Amino acid sequence: MSTEDYLDLRIDDFLDRLAEGGRAPGGGSAAALSVAFAAGLVAMVARCSRESWDDAGGVAAQSLAIKERAAQLARTDAHAWQEASAALREAGTDGDAEGRDRELEQKLGRAAAVPLEIAELGADAAALAALVGEYCEGAFRADAAAAAALASGGASAAAHLVQVNLSVQEGDERLKRARASEQAAAESAKRTLASIR
Amino acid sequence: MSQLSTLSDAELVQRCREGNTDAWNELVERFSRYVYAVCTRGYRLSEEDAEDVFQEVFTRAFTHLGTLRNDAALRPWIAQLTRRLCLDSIAKRGREQATDEPVADGLASDLDEIDEAFTVREALATLSETCQDMLDRFFARDQSYRTISDELELPSGTIASRIARCLSKLRTELEGRKAGPGGSRG
Repeated sequence: MSTEDYLDLRIDDFLDRLAEGGRAPGGGSAAALSVAFAAGLVAMVARCSRESWDDAGGVAAQSLAIKERAAQLARTDAHAWQEASAALREAGTDGDAEGRDRELEQKLGRAAAVPLEIAELGADAAALAALVGEYCEGAFRADAAAAAALASGGASAAAHLVQVNLSVQEGDERLKRARASEQAAAESAKRTLASIR
Repeated sequence: MSQLSTLSDAELVQRCREGNTDAWNELVERFSRYVYAVCTRGYRLSEEDAEDVFQEVFTRAFTHLGTLRNDAALRPWIAQLTRRLCLDSIAKRGREQATDEPVADGLASDLDEIDEAFTVREALATLSETCQDMLDRFFARDQSYRTISDELELPSGTIASRIARCLSKLRTELEGRKAGPGGSRG
């Protein structure tokens, strides 16, 4: 199945596909969808709090934008990962070694850029979840906390994928950004979860 | 931003009638993307045909501005002019029969979308430059809160709230426009 089709699957079909022995979708797509679920929850909570919170509409709009971007990244990550895997398999074969190395580096770089973006979206979704957790109607605080936890989990998973990418070394700016996003998301989630206990 | 760009459509029409060349340039600047979008995205005209219609729309606007009865209705007038000339262009090319009805599936909704996009663009122009910048960064350039915070030197924890407030202002402006002339550009 083409990676273009993932978002058209029913959720149970997608989960079956995820559980299969194939190469994709994998952790990056799952992380992206966790962030998308989180953003969707934030939008729902904000929309349900419009009567009591002036900024609810603006927060819902931002959440929906994050949801769309994260869902697209579920596709993009699978595609980037498949390309990088194929390039890795070809790396040891005969032929133009220098050209292959250059191509491999580019594809690994792209495979790291996508989870980095997912981690940053996760941090943003968690920040929005913390905001709605503070101002939403009381009945929806648990959903806000769930959103924060999901967003933090997605950011953490994505940051790990950046860290293990072969093109990323310790001290790499991409790794610093991924870790900062992971930390920011975790702090937002911790704050939101603590506020409803 | 030039002084003319802050004028309402009605005020701009008035300046054009007085023979102000800069006002004419502003009118073309204000509506050029709109006219071009209707030609290419709405009626799917070729680049060459769209260019011809574009020239003709503004030529006719220049010569017939005196017939515009309601100065605040400049955009609907230009929209009607553009649609009529697009249909003429299509009929001339013999690709479709010119009618008053949409010439292709989805045309009406495409034109509505173009209209809506330009209404939002106009409303955006009434917001503060900071608001315009923040909304552009988040919604058009897909920048993260952290990037926005770093580049604008604002506390990262305040970005989402600031964007939400800018959106509230935009919504108020758009609602004012739906309710009738009264927005800062009429």
